[in-house]
Amino acid sequence: MAANIGILKRPIAPTGIWAWITTVDHKKIGVLYGVTALAFFIIAGIEALVIRLQLSQAEASVVSAATFNALFTMHGTTMIFMVIMPLGAAFFNFLVPLMIGARDVAFPRLNAFSYWLFLFGAILMHVSFFKGSAPDVGWFAYAPLTSSEYTPSNSVDYWVLGLQIMGVGTLAAGFNFVITILNLRAPGMTLMRMPLFVWMTLIVSFLIIFAFPVITVAITLLLFDRMIGTNFYSIQAGADPLLWQHLFWIFGHPEVYILILPSMGIVSDILPTFSRKPLFGYMTVVLAGAVIAFLGFGVWAHHMFTVGLNKWATGAFSIATMAIAVPTGVKIFNWLATMHGGSVSLKTPMLFALGFISMFMLGGLSGVMHAIVPVDAQQQDTYFIVAHFHYVLFGGSIFGLTAALYYWFPKMTGRMMDETLGRIHFVLMFIGFNLTFFPMHFLGVLGMPRRIYSYTPDQGWEGLNLLVTVGAFVIAASIAVAVYNIVRSVRIGQPSGANPWGGATLEWAIPSPPPHYNFAVVPHVRSLTPLWDEEGNAVEPPPLPYHDESKIHMPSPSYWPLLVAAGATLVAGGLLVWQWHTIIGLIVISASGLLGMYSIYRWIFEPPAAEEAAHHAHVEAHH
Amino acid sequence: MARLSHLRNPALVAVLGIAVLAVFAACSSPQTTFEPRSDAADKILTLYILIIVVSGAIGAAVLIGMGYLLIRYRERPGVKARQIHGNNTLEVAWTIAPILVLLVVGIPAIFGIVGMTREPVPDALHVRVIAHQWWWEVRYPGLGPNGDDLVTANEIHVPIGREINITIESKDVIHSFWVPHLIGKLDAVPNHVNRLEPFTASDTGVYYGQCAEFCGLAHALMRFRVSVDTLGDFDGWVAAQNTPAPPLEDGTYLASGQGIFIANCSVCHTVNGTAAAGTFGPNLTGFGSRLTLGAGVWDNTQDNVEAWIRNASEMKPLPPGLPDDYAYLGSGNPTMPRFDESLSPEEIQAVSAYIRSLTLN
Repeated sequence: MAANIGILKRPIAPTGIWAWITTVDHKKIGVLYGVTALAFFIIAGIEALVIRLQLSQAEASVVSAATFNALFTMHGTTMIFMVIMPLGAAFFNFLVPLMIGARDVAFPRLNAFSYWLFLFGAILMHVSFFKGSAPDVGWFAYAPLTSSEYTPSNSVDYWVLGLQIMGVGTLAAGFNFVITILNLRAPGMTLMRMPLFVWMTLIVSFLIIFAFPVITVAITLLLFDRMIGTNFYSIQAGADPLLWQHLFWIFGHPEVYILILPSMGIVSDILPTFSRKPLFGYMTVVLAGAVIAFLGFGVWAHHMFTVGLNKWATGAFSIATMAIAVPTGVKIFNWLATMHGGSVSLKTPMLFALGFISMFMLGGLSGVMHAIVPVDAQQQDTYFIVAHFHYVLFGGSIFGLTAALYYWFPKMTGRMMDETLGRIHFVLMFIGFNLTFFPMHFLGVLGMPRRIYSYTPDQGWEGLNLLVTVGAFVIAASIAVAVYNIVRSVRIGQPSGANPWGGATLEWAIPSPPPHYNFAVVPHVRSLTPLWDEEGNAVEPPPLPYHDESKIHMPSPSYWPLLVAAGATLVAGGLLVWQWHTIIGLIVISASGLLGMYSIYRWIFEPPAAEEAAHHAHVEAHH
Repeated sequence: MARLSHLRNPALVAVLGIAVLAVFAACSSPQTTFEPRSDAADKILTLYILIIVVSGAIGAAVLIGMGYLLIRYRERPGVKARQIHGNNTLEVAWTIAPILVLLVVGIPAIFGIVGMTREPVPDALHVRVIAHQWWWEVRYPGLGPNGDDLVTANEIHVPIGREINITIESKDVIHSFWVPHLIGKLDAVPNHVNRLEPFTASDTGVYYGQCAEFCGLAHALMRFRVSVDTLGDFDGWVAAQNTPAPPLEDGTYLASGQGIFIANCSVCHTVNGTAAAGTFGPNLTGFGSRLTLGAGVWDNTQDNVEAWIRNASEMKPLPPGLPDDYAYLGSGNPTMPRFDESLSPEEIQAVSAYIRSLTLN
């Protein structure tokens, strides 16, 4: 097989930078997702702080209107697509195979491909900052503001191309995790014995599979409008600009559940551990998650109550939106009931989980307010909405993901995070969060629209805005504590052992950090809480039988996922070059297209393992 | 320490503190949604209070319940957790309970939706609002001279006690028309004509309005005022608006300002009764009677008007690369050019004095 002997042999380095670049190990990919998302979290946080400085007083001139518009657009886009989704992906990757007793995901190289597309798409979008045309049309980019006529700069092109690249990676990950969860479970791990986090990963993956094609189409049409002069959203050609809103929110609302369901799964697994009893009504919590996801596809127009829909559409979407409160309420009651009769230990992960329940509930309640359409006519596009979705996405998603960080950090690194610093982090973040986002409800009541870079003193919003800005800096302080805690604990944290919290699920049965093959012997699962006896006490993981780890077959690292992702991203970048200079653009597009196609070919015909490649090379040499 | 135990949770104390502070800070704003001045806004506030009370009660109950569980079931030496897996009766109960609560708020909400889309009465006053980047064109069909539209900008006059039927359109991107005291918001969508719920204002006064949908660079500075007048004042305003500006005597200061205005500004602006009949920019008939300039942002003073004419982009962000020539106006998205390079300070002063002299008395 001559095709197998190329310039690049299948990589074999077990450690060092090349091990990370060529890895197909779900645990390493999970860590890559996590570290990248934390970097973007800090970028998006700095954007938020500049926004808050500009709004801290009336008629401030910290940044210009143009810069402000780019900041709030990129803050939203970054937090959603480059922080919360990849943080979810980090835990999906690291934990799902461990929780179901598998050695990796179903398609390890596809998994690496997803990560590289995420990283490259995010970088591509951020290149716009250096070209002076960062996306500046809001994260939902309403037509026709995004048309070439109203936004002549490249800002929308960067936004579309960056999202498109990241979206392909997300879709691939969605398929990967559905197939992994449905096919790679250990013997005895029935669907109804899966940890809630695995259930929510499965549901989120289905949401991705059904929702992302819609945004993919919507932004492709937008790109065609801008680059080759089609008229899908052109008002001059008679298009209806509401087409964009329908397409965007048919994706956008399920996206909200893509962001929140992982945290619901996390909390559902943390509460039992720190209450020393099983989740109350496991089946109900699973079903509630599925019902939320299903209803999530039927409520998109509640983002559009003020666009002038007729009363039938408005009424139907209002009722559907209120209906989502029912399964959400059921989940909250089941979580609380899990603590009832328990032995509750308030360790840092539990504090963040409780923060999640309380803050997410407040966001849910203000969400029900928006379903009351006449009231929404006063709240829509004001700071009341900004308060609402930050209670859901920060109070909900981020608190949940932070709980996950503290809970599973020992599993990932073999070291505990510092408990005192963790408590300081929690208290600062909880206070800062409420100081920042609770007063925003009042600003909304007082009529302050969102996305304004300036206001005048007579509008009466100065005091509250200053309060909000102070809160934002308290959050920043809490994040600084967290980053210090992470860096410190990676190096000198207390060794954790296999199961420091007395958890009940499979990932705690293996050493921390887990060996690259995860389970030396595939476990047999007989209950929902395999590591607990009937009294809720942790039992020692059974001693492992003798094994020879060198005989465990694991997928070998590969360059090709990285190179296919690079080729795809460079084609997207080439489109921007093409707009600037046709010939050079065509050259870039062709060259990177060829790179991508060649890499796909090599990916397909890659030998299964490095040793075999060496063997083939040896055989070839003898012929 | 025991006496301070209720203060042990600093987070709880902080939240309560913020809530109290915020309520005090939130006493008033000219854009508040909590001071309805029309029948429609009043109806909304009733629903608003209902949903705040209901969700506030649920939120408080759950938080208190959570606090109780945390204290009651905090781990104690020798006390084992009871291994409960669930309880079907309870779970059905707390599935049904939220449905009942939702009926309480959902049924009035549905009636509210029906009310929002009702037809106006036949003699309602029709006002057409047309949104532009970044100002508001206001037209009263049939109220102008010879049965034409009465046209003004950024300041809407409506009479008290008469039903108002506002329709909303857009010339470019999506905007949103919102006067919190009078009515909830409704978007201005290009290629659509949206109609607000008909409303009747209950108090005279000047109310703040603002664009609520992000519409590009100067979105923050796309504001307006609604003046609710007595019936007599409103009729007087309509009549004055339709009375052509009296001719100015040649050689006077204001006449020189008018000459400069016709020569430089009439491509975009209209002043009824003069040769100025441009329609790209706001109609300036009766400008001297307006409270503000630049779409509800700046007070209408001589200094502000002069500064605006000198270089409007220093007061309101306008798209970069604005060409100097009028050819730009052909693109359909014109903005106010700067005049400090083509007019002398004295000329700008005269133009400002002229348009400020256009009152409705």
